Amino acid sequence: MTKMLHVALREFLATVATKGFLIGMLAPPIMIGLMSVLMPRLMKNDAPKIQGEVAVADPTGAIVGRLETYLSPEAIAERRDALRRRAEAQTPEALRKAAQSAGAPEVSQALDAVLGEVPILRVVPLPGEETLEAAKDVLRKGEVDDGGRLAVVSVHGDAVTRPEDARAFGTYDLYVREKLDDRIEDEIHDGLREALVDARVEAQGLDRDQIEAVTRVPRVRSITVTEGGEKKTNQVLNLLLPVGFMGLLLISVMTGGQYLLTTTIEEKSSRIVEVLLSAVSPMQLMTGKILGQMAVGFLILGLYAGMGVLALLSFAMLGVLDLSLLLYLGLFYVLAYFLVASFMAAVGAAVNEMREAQTLMTPAMIVIMVPWLLWMPITRDPNGTFAVVTSLVPPINTFVMMLRLTSTTPPPAWQVWLSIAISVVSVYVALRVAAKIFRIGLLMFGKAPNFATMLRWVKMA
Amino acid sequence: MADAIVLDKVTRSFGEHVAVRDFDLVVPRGKLYGFIGPNGAGKTTTIRMVMSILFPDRGRIEVLGHASALEAKDQIGYLPEERGVYKKMRVGSFLTYIARLKGVDGARLGQRVQEWLAKVELPDVAGKRCEELSKGMQQKIQFITAVIHEPELLILDEPFSGLDPVNMRLVRELILDQHRRGATIIFSTHVMSQAEQICDHVVMIHKGAKQLDDTVRNIRARFDPRTILFEPLDPAASLAPIEALPAVRAVTQVAGVSEVSVRDGVDPASAMQAVAAAVPPARLELRRPTLEDVFVQIVTDQEGEASGLRAVLRADAAVGAQA
Repeated sequence: MTKMLHVALREFLATVATKGFLIGMLAPPIMIGLMSVLMPRLMKNDAPKIQGEVAVADPTGAIVGRLETYLSPEAIAERRDALRRRAEAQTPEALRKAAQSAGAPEVSQALDAVLGEVPILRVVPLPGEETLEAAKDVLRKGEVDDGGRLAVVSVHGDAVTRPEDARAFGTYDLYVREKLDDRIEDEIHDGLREALVDARVEAQGLDRDQIEAVTRVPRVRSITVTEGGEKKTNQVLNLLLPVGFMGLLLISVMTGGQYLLTTTIEEKSSRIVEVLLSAVSPMQLMTGKILGQMAVGFLILGLYAGMGVLALLSFAMLGVLDLSLLLYLGLFYVLAYFLVASFMAAVGAAVNEMREAQTLMTPAMIVIMVPWLLWMPITRDPNGTFAVVTSLVPPINTFVMMLRLTSTTPPPAWQVWLSIAISVVSVYVALRVAAKIFRIGLLMFGKAPNFATMLRWVKMA
Repeated sequence: MADAIVLDKVTRSFGEHVAVRDFDLVVPRGKLYGFIGPNGAGKTTTIRMVMSILFPDRGRIEVLGHASALEAKDQIGYLPEERGVYKKMRVGSFLTYIARLKGVDGARLGQRVQEWLAKVELPDVAGKRCEELSKGMQQKIQFITAVIHEPELLILDEPFSGLDPVNMRLVRELILDQHRRGATIIFSTHVMSQAEQICDHVVMIHKGAKQLDDTVRNIRARFDPRTILFEPLDPAASLAPIEALPAVRAVTQVAGVSEVSVRDGVDPASAMQAVAAAVPPARLELRRPTLEDVFVQIVTDQEGEASGLRAVLRADAAVGAQA
């Protein structure tokens, strides 16, 4: 027992106490953290204040004034204010508080960062003597930030009133300077659309407010009805939560398993294994190694899951997470890991070098990837026949069951426990088989074995 | 007290090939036994079976009074033929780890590791990674892993391979230290002169079967010398008169010395007198049989292919000495 623990401890330390492991494990969260701090800054720097002229050739005479009103800095600021208020209204109260207490920029500030400073745009009618070509020539000279002309608009003559026989109204052409910020371009498009609609409505003698009231149907958020009550549907989260849990499970299981394979091959190919076998039995060695790498996987699982919980906590969305799910995650991790680990230990002991292991690994990897490929259909229909069957078939049952458990309609308890029972049995069988292959394989050098050879060893032992 | 090792009609095959056949052996406690035989004779398979790393198809094995070495692992030190180190691990932690696996623990472990490193003349390597050491240095580290827990039984499979003559002598002294401490030692080698230097008892294996199991002294006594080493006083003298002697079967030149083999049934003492009378000698001595001679004779008696076998043995030995 103590020997086994010594093996496990060495295995754990030899894996974790390396620069490669630390970098590999800490890099993703650090990258995400850096991005979330740096991105707003970068975007803010990217949006300098824009100042310039929009020249409009307007044969209808109805557009310039309306566009001028729409693009006035006050109007732009007002529209942004309205947008900000809507965004704030949609942000949950708790999240706002959490964000404030965490020192995060307020929603409005974040929005400002995204939209950039309010541009100052002068709308001028194109003097009659200046041709369109001459007007466009101005765009070719100078820079976007020298306060000169930014865009030239040519409104079509039939844009506001159409001839009797025409079905559609005319529209406009927009010429812009190179490198003009697309947000400014959007403002001009929006302004022209607004001005054209308004001018057309007036020309027809219609009531703009009435038309808008008649055509408006706001989109509402759906509400999920469950036994426990009603809650607002969060579609994104409903899809992301299962895949997040399964991803965590898969990453931690595969990391531990991969390291187990590598260290086993190292021990065999560096011929250290016989020294070890003179001190411990093959079973002790294998169990110790499996437990040591299980701790490595747990470390990864704990770290990433912990960060996930912290993230949810900071957004005050911990409510979406049933804490029993975390317990299931731990349980399924152990089961899935033991299954993968026994395979890895057997393969690692059977082959002489990593290259030979790849051939044996490929089919196994494909099987493990199945739930990953199928997460969409399974999360969409978590209690369909396909989902139920795959959640009972080892070795993927643990992964699929994790998907189903975190979906909007969790499976009945008996299926969960049946799946766990199936896992326990398959883990037992896998460990027995792996132990036999491990014992024989460790001292077999020479030709790389295939699955048939390994099966023969199992029968031999 | 029970014998250190008892093998009773042990047989082990790999597929068609019988690696060890009906092997009987008793090694009493405190003895220093040498397993000799050419490469592929079955030495490593026998040792692995003693260690319970392999299991015999038939027969019974007893180690230190236990039915299996697994029950006495902490009292056995084992240096396998195929041996390695964790490349990335530091020497000190590697030795500590192995010692812990062998049941050694406690506060003095670090000190013991240091003492052993000093004994193998590598006092400053504890903080280095194993991969930074030369192959010979790694060999000595591996030797420490076999003895650090002061085992009652020490099994060394080719302990000298890969060592230069200076380190070979160092390891030989360390093995003899363990012997004086009272440990039972078995070591295997295909270089028979090594066994001759330190063993008090030799077990000879050829093609999976035991050919000889006796003390070195008895073996020498039993195989009476039939070779006379001869150098003439006058280097230019012809050896034809010696070849013509009725007592002489043949004269061969080996490295500047003439080896005169005596015809069967002739008393070596009278043959020496006859040789000295035929050509005045600068050197004349009766060569004691080496283990190699004995081995060759045994195998030749069985199979009659002396020269080929001797060539194989010499080639092996040369490789062993170089490696």
